[in-house]
Amino acid sequence: MAERLVIDPITRIEGHLRLEVQVEGGQVADAWSSSTMFRGLEIILPGRDPRGAWLMAQRI
Amino acid sequence: MDENGQGNLRDLLTQRGISRRDFMRFCALMAGTLALPASAIPKISYALETVKRPPLIWLEFQDCAGCTESLLRANRPTVAELVLDILSLNYHETIMTPSGKRAEQSLKETMEAGGYLTVVEGSIPTGENSFYCCIAGRSAEEILKEAAAHTAAIIAVGACAFYGGWPATSPNPTGAKGVKDVVSGVPIINLSGCPYNVDNLTATVVHYLTFGSLPAVDDLGRPLFAYGRRIHDNCERRGHFDANEFVREWGDEGHRKGWCLYQMGCKGPVAFQNCPTLRWNGGLSWPVGAGHGCIACAAPDFWEREPYETVPIVGPTPPTTYPPVEEETKGLSPAAAGVIGGLAGLAVGVAGAVAARELGKERS
Repeated sequence: MAERLVIDPITRIEGHLRLEVQVEGGQVADAWSSSTMFRGLEIILPGRDPRGAWLMAQRI
Repeated sequence: MDENGQGNLRDLLTQRGISRRDFMRFCALMAGTLALPASAIPKISYALETVKRPPLIWLEFQDCAGCTESLLRANRPTVAELVLDILSLNYHETIMTPSGKRAEQSLKETMEAGGYLTVVEGSIPTGENSFYCCIAGRSAEEILKEAAAHTAAIIAVGACAFYGGWPATSPNPTGAKGVKDVVSGVPIINLSGCPYNVDNLTATVVHYLTFGSLPAVDDLGRPLFAYGRRIHDNCERRGHFDANEFVREWGDEGHRKGWCLYQMGCKGPVAFQNCPTLRWNGGLSWPVGAGHGCIACAAPDFWEREPYETVPIVGPTPPTTYPPVEEETKGLSPAAAGVIGGLAGLAVGVAGAVAARELGKERS
């Protein structure tokens, strides 16, 4: 019998994480993890002055 | 203490073997941080010993956990004392033991009971149906609105939580907003900074427990005890600013000697926070003390200001020229040098001389 376990949120980590586990007959058949938060630093940083960009990048 | 661990501080302190002297020292420190007179110390100690610990939920949204790191570095009191004795921290993703459903159960129960304090860390994405930050299948916006409906007050920690922070800088890809732009009708206190200073959170909570209200705030919602004074006016390097001793290049002689960082872009003249007096890491140091200029991280638009650009000096402007630091005094006694200086002063102009004569008349 297949069962889908969902653990969200995963605590004691920095950031937001969700795990989904497919269990079949007591064995893990498949698993998915997803980061459930996005800020877009990759979109914000291009074009910024490197003398100021480091301050932002260290706060990822 | 009741079965939910909601007992008062006196019980907990006794249990943990914390001496009366240490406790009173903490109360005095809090009175000092809040800029209250010594007469407030017994009020604080009475309140902390008798008032029930408020439940607190800590919501993390678009954050870097830097503000959580600041919380974990609390040592006045230690994080254990803060979290276990003064507050009843019922939900905090990064430091709580349960995960998944059991974590969410704790949040749900606290919200249903009401009367809790809510700390928010990180901005709230509102673009694309708010799906850029989801916890347990619910969006940050939805969770915050639900928490705000029953909370006693929201404490926004860090620049992101109140203003939106760097996630909200151009082009703001996720539609990030601060708490003040998402919820209304609930007291919101702004403990800005990047990160905020945990001692200011402790003091805010102590104020809340002692007086039943949040501390007085400025027009940006920041408590005056912490954000009422200009960094430039309380800076340990201020003497070098006044003496025209500036760092001109990283690692130059002035930098090694600990001179003023204004020319390197220090934002101290436009920054308001108690960093120079409260300091960081248990009072060990602070950014300017460590050799980098202030970035004015408690200001709303600080991410739009480049850290290397100088800021305008508001108020009294020091003169553009200064006498040399090492005056040639060879052959002159200090008294003689003073007389010469005084004569030079008289020779500045007719008006000055007249004024001096007038003063002389008044005295005689």
